[in-house]
Amino acid sequence: MPEVDRRDFLKLVGVGAGAAAASGCSDHVEQLIPYVVQPEEITPGEAVWYASTCTECSVGCGLHVRTREGRPIKVEGNPDHPVNRGALCSRAQVIVGRTYSPDRYRGPMARGAGGELEPISWDDALAKVADAIRKSPGATQVLGGDPGDTAGKLLDRFVSAAGLGGRTAYEPLAAEALREATRQVFGQASQPVFDVSDADLIIDFAGEMLEAGPSPIEHERQWAEARDIDAHADGGARLVYVGSRLSLTAGNSDEWLPARPGSEGLLALALAKIAAGEKGGVSGELAAALASADVAAAAAAADIPVADLERIGRALGRARNAVAIPPAPAHASRRAVSAAAAVLLLNEVVGAIGRSVSIPEAAPGRASSYRDVLALTKSMQDGKVGVLFVHDANPVYELPQATGFQAALDDVGLLVALSTARDETSERADLVLPVHAPLESWGDRRPRPGVRGLAQPTFRPLYDTRAFGDVLLDLGRTLGGDVASRLPSGSFRNVLEEAWSDTDFRAALVRGGVFEDTPVRGAALAAGAARIEVAAPKMTGEGDVTLVAFATANLGDGRASNLPWLQEVPDPVTSVAWDSWAEVSLNKAEALGIEMGDLIRIETSAGALEVPAYPRGGIRDDVVAVPIGQGHTVGLFASKEGQGMPGTARGVNVTEALPAAVDEAGGRAWLVESARVSATGRHRRLPLLQWSDNKRGRQLGEAVALAELTGEKKADAHGSGHGDAHGGDHGSDHGSGHGDGHGDAHGGDHGSHEILEPFDPADDAADQALADAFPDEKSVKASPYRWGMTVDLDKCTGCTACITACYVENNIPVVGEDETRRVRQMAWLRLERYIGDGEATLEYGRAHPETSREKLGDVDVRNSPMLCQQCGAAPCEPVCPVIATYHNEEGLNAMIYNRCIGTRYCANNCPYKVRRFNYFDNQLTKWPEPMELGLNPDVTVRGQGVMEKCNFCVQRIQEARQIAKSEGRLVSDGDVQTACQQTCATNAIGFGNLRDDQSEVSKRADNDKRRYYALHVLNTRPAVTYLAKVQRGKVEG
Amino acid sequence: MSPPAMPVADTLVPQPAPPDSKINRDILRVMEGTSFGYWLLLLISIASVGMAGGIWTYQVYEGLGIAGYTHPLFWGVYIVTFVFWVGIAHAGTLISAILYLFRAKWRNAINRSAEAMTVFAVLTAAQFLGIHVGRMWKAYFILPYPNQRGLWVNFKSPLMWDTFAITTYATISIVFFYIGLIPDLAIARDRATGWRKLLYTALALGWQGTSRQWKSHSRSVLHLSGLATPLVLSVHSVVSWDFAMSIVPGWHATIFAPYFVAGAIFSGFAMVLTVMIPVRRIYRLEAYITDYHFENMARFLLLTSLIVGYSYAIEYFIAWYSGVEAEQSAFWLRAFGPYWISTWTMIACNCIGPQLFWFKRLRTHIPTLFVVSTFINIGMWFERYVIIITSLSREYDPAVWGVYTPSWAELGIFVGSFGFFSMFFIMFLKLFPVIAISEVKELAIHEKAHGDHGHAPAEA
Repeated sequence: MPEVDRRDFLKLVGVGAGAAAASGCSDHVEQLIPYVVQPEEITPGEAVWYASTCTECSVGCGLHVRTREGRPIKVEGNPDHPVNRGALCSRAQVIVGRTYSPDRYRGPMARGAGGELEPISWDDALAKVADAIRKSPGATQVLGGDPGDTAGKLLDRFVSAAGLGGRTAYEPLAAEALREATRQVFGQASQPVFDVSDADLIIDFAGEMLEAGPSPIEHERQWAEARDIDAHADGGARLVYVGSRLSLTAGNSDEWLPARPGSEGLLALALAKIAAGEKGGVSGELAAALASADVAAAAAAADIPVADLERIGRALGRARNAVAIPPAPAHASRRAVSAAAAVLLLNEVVGAIGRSVSIPEAAPGRASSYRDVLALTKSMQDGKVGVLFVHDANPVYELPQATGFQAALDDVGLLVALSTARDETSERADLVLPVHAPLESWGDRRPRPGVRGLAQPTFRPLYDTRAFGDVLLDLGRTLGGDVASRLPSGSFRNVLEEAWSDTDFRAALVRGGVFEDTPVRGAALAAGAARIEVAAPKMTGEGDVTLVAFATANLGDGRASNLPWLQEVPDPVTSVAWDSWAEVSLNKAEALGIEMGDLIRIETSAGALEVPAYPRGGIRDDVVAVPIGQGHTVGLFASKEGQGMPGTARGVNVTEALPAAVDEAGGRAWLVESARVSATGRHRRLPLLQWSDNKRGRQLGEAVALAELTGEKKADAHGSGHGDAHGGDHGSDHGSGHGDGHGDAHGGDHGSHEILEPFDPADDAADQALADAFPDEKSVKASPYRWGMTVDLDKCTGCTACITACYVENNIPVVGEDETRRVRQMAWLRLERYIGDGEATLEYGRAHPETSREKLGDVDVRNSPMLCQQCGAAPCEPVCPVIATYHNEEGLNAMIYNRCIGTRYCANNCPYKVRRFNYFDNQLTKWPEPMELGLNPDVTVRGQGVMEKCNFCVQRIQEARQIAKSEGRLVSDGDVQTACQQTCATNAIGFGNLRDDQSEVSKRADNDKRRYYALHVLNTRPAVTYLAKVQRGKVEG
Repeated sequence: MSPPAMPVADTLVPQPAPPDSKINRDILRVMEGTSFGYWLLLLISIASVGMAGGIWTYQVYEGLGIAGYTHPLFWGVYIVTFVFWVGIAHAGTLISAILYLFRAKWRNAINRSAEAMTVFAVLTAAQFLGIHVGRMWKAYFILPYPNQRGLWVNFKSPLMWDTFAITTYATISIVFFYIGLIPDLAIARDRATGWRKLLYTALALGWQGTSRQWKSHSRSVLHLSGLATPLVLSVHSVVSWDFAMSIVPGWHATIFAPYFVAGAIFSGFAMVLTVMIPVRRIYRLEAYITDYHFENMARFLLLTSLIVGYSYAIEYFIAWYSGVEAEQSAFWLRAFGPYWISTWTMIACNCIGPQLFWFKRLRTHIPTLFVVSTFINIGMWFERYVIIITSLSREYDPAVWGVYTPSWAELGIFVGSFGFFSMFFIMFLKLFPVIAISEVKELAIHEKAHGDHGHAPAEA
């Protein structure tokens, strides 16, 4: 053996130590730079909130923006705002992401010699635009969406001051037909306001009121209020849905009439006639308007039984307060105006107008319609447009290719895009004038009378961008002379303050706007109302199915598709994320010989789409339905750019298969094409997150018939309950609670016994044994808190806003399409959607997700949010070898990320499968700059190889506890709101202290008749108490 | 302990042992000279270890996502292979310890290689604990070492027990292996030159073969056997509790401990046969490892196969009898689900194949032995695959069921594990006496003294 001398030995030791030390500091050193001058209003570690207004859609919900150390990190609803009352939808939840989008322009860009967009200074950019405008102001056109109230008025002033050719305002999914119908029926070109909070019967004519209707968040709340089982012993309002597919709204209805698409107008008129008859007849203009109604013909056109129509018609006539919701914009056919008019007439017949439906006075201002967009396209094609401004819109993506708009852009001299982030339109622009992201700019919205929302910047703009209004003002100044003098001096903020000078601006800023109670305004029928001709719309194109485009709860019209959360959070109905799908019926799929994910070709007269099929039971055989919102070709997340395939579309853009069709009044029509569907023989696995909608009688997504709940029918006390071997074939039918449409979908008794008598720890002898086995539980008793949650399935619509809120609050990594396809999403909260009670089937054998159990006309949909149950006897805890997950003294299953070594045993042993594993370093390497700025500093960013899960927003509990402690009291009920609970429009989620007998959750968890624990047989003693959905049954005629 | 006499009518009679010097020569000859084939095999083994090491490095760098995991399958081929190797590791100790205590003399020819296999299989299995965890660089957290942070481990966790079981077993089997080697190392030392001389001198610990040394030696082997015997039963029981202690349908079964132990012995013997048949052939050790030895091992295989088959049947029976729907669906899925191939492979290899050993002709027919034992190895891997994968893929919540397909990374590391094992074994062939020389001699002396072959065989 060679001698090792002392020097060599020390050298070797040194090398070893050096290597060890080097491996210990692989992360690069970052410097902390403290504030030199401490801003007065910022206390490090404490959030500062600003009131603002959401600009994601025309509803204009109120926001509270939470900022930390000067950065907005989360938005929540403004509880004072009359529209959303503190709740928000998914799209609003991620508005922060617009600010930190990696797609944002960081300064003005001009198309250079090489044809690429290159940076340019604001002065040069404005000078360029001014030059182009000066050449021929009349050939300058403005096209765009809604920039806000004051900004819109300023734009109009600018257009007239500069003598521009005109302004065309459009939205891809605008309620144009409804506005026109209101004008025809009531003489007011305005958007009616529907209030269903006091209704006892709601009929939704493909209005998708809970997902894509006139005001989804507001209607979700009112819907839940109107059928709150505690306030209404009879179950409250019934919802009848008329439409061709089992949408989110349909799934929450009590009865679904699977009508042929486009037949809504005929049905509404027929129902109005029956209701009028039930009411003892109507007279005058209304009677004349109903004269043309033909119940049998309508039923035949809609392909539904006459008896159903008559039953519902009679119920409408007898209802105390019935409300009818007109078709959603995406379901506008060529006869959309008359369809909407028929629904308004139905409202008139049942007396809803002036009671639950308010007809505001005609709103002045924008009145351009889709027809104007087509006209603009025509003049572009004729070379009459020298300069085209595009703002707040993405027409290249949103307009059908068939309009010729995309091609006509080549004939425009100078295309100026006022965009925040890269999109299909701005990528084609000659000049990009980047505008502020929503949370960086001033603005206001006036969505309806009495609601005036104010938007304020919440931090200094990240990049060299300007507010939309300031761009106009600066451009005016650059144009100089008359133009400048006709425009206000100062900045857009001054203009805005001027516009708000009639109120206390400071108070409005604090409150988020000015909100007044406006009385419900009725209206008399207009003289011409009887002349409205309701007919089934004509479909163009050949084929045996109708192409139905629909807006989903998360993606809407597709303007927010570049925000990764909206791609990641799966569609609530199909559980597909990151891709498009085409819904076809099971029969159709069988006829075509296709299965889930097989690519089908949808051919129309305007084009063809190739989409993975999603066969389901809840859709008519003569319909193929494709969601709107995907098919972007630009954007890191909107397209496949982030996956190394720039320019490749994510999914399909359904407008590519739609012609440039309009309704009677020139509004945009979507439901216009028949299509031929054929199999391509190719397959693309859908990123699908739900395996099965068959709960096999297990204690998940429970429901209880109304009769059983109110004691009209004695609950079956089956001792065997769920433990029984045959989930499918024991017990009795629920009888009256169920409609006949889905009787055989049920696996018989599903444990009403267990719903009504959940596990009671105090009575159970096993409890003592468990308490001995889990000594942590004993120590819990020393703490004044045991955090608990209630989830009311009767109120949950399944809109998934809670999931999105959870993502944003808890820094949950977005894993992307490929990882979603591998089902490795990180969601702490997921939505499970079961159809009926299910039954044990032999379909276990499938290597791919199971066949949908939906049935046409069956609405037994159980939306059940699943999150960590924070079990009292948690299976995950004892199996962790390193105590990375443990039971804390407040009853939470706490996770110590730093302690976790990633054995994943906890996740295997979790029966609820709510634990998520970081297979990659999702946070540190997959968030492109500057998205990391939006991370919540209160929540640990998890690294590769550790487990994570819901912790009841422990950071919020902590915050509330600190406040309570400083005030020398205990945390009181309502002090802590989890992120999911906070954003829920229907208050389906309750959170509080189970050890406090007076807390809301305690009362519900202890006393509610509908309470049950998920997978109760496992005796995990969850802190989450579910309240079973109530089956109200079909409407009685 | 006096060995009970067994009726031996239908057993082969061991051949008379050759003389001492010939034993030395024959067995030590194995260690001399290396052929091209030897180097090629070694190279292939090392290359596959290198490949697996590369994949592992990439996995550590990139994340476990390169494996085929999906929600809700958080365990995959890594754990399957871990359990497989732990199972393999059971034959050595069983042969050396339990059969030693029962004085089953036929063990002497195979105990050395079986012990070596045990050590190498445990080492291979241990790798998978590191490969499997999400943060292998923090895997030392699992050790209850004193630290100023006040962190401790969870002794309630079966994984914790597993850690102790595996480390204890590795320690005992290495010590056992080494103690048994000492007299043989001394023989090798006396004949070796060069670096081998240095090596064996160091390892032989100055063994002179004095009667005092022999006395200490046999006493320590006896004591170690006593220590190791419960381990044979406990290690795989503990491994089985990794599953049985959970509430996963298909895992949560009281039969798991005996079921796993039987399966481990089954697979261990199968592996010994699979390896020793070619080794005997190549190195012409027919005089030492006789058909008689193989036949006895075949009997063992038949016995354990029946236990394993019984366990399979009982699992299904209990699933039906329990009335737990989730349990029933898990077992239905095993047989008829997307993993049915794995299940039926398992049943064919583990239950049906070994039935051939009812026939003496087939027990002594070397090609049949080789083929059946190889298939048992395959079947036992699939048994673990079936238990782990099918159970996890269909648990309580049907919304989040899933399917698992191993990824290239897992398969690469799986192949590498065989390389790792065979690399050690191939080197072992040339470094240490493949048969326990001293014990074979002892047997020869014993035979000479008694001149009676009657009661020697089959005393397990």
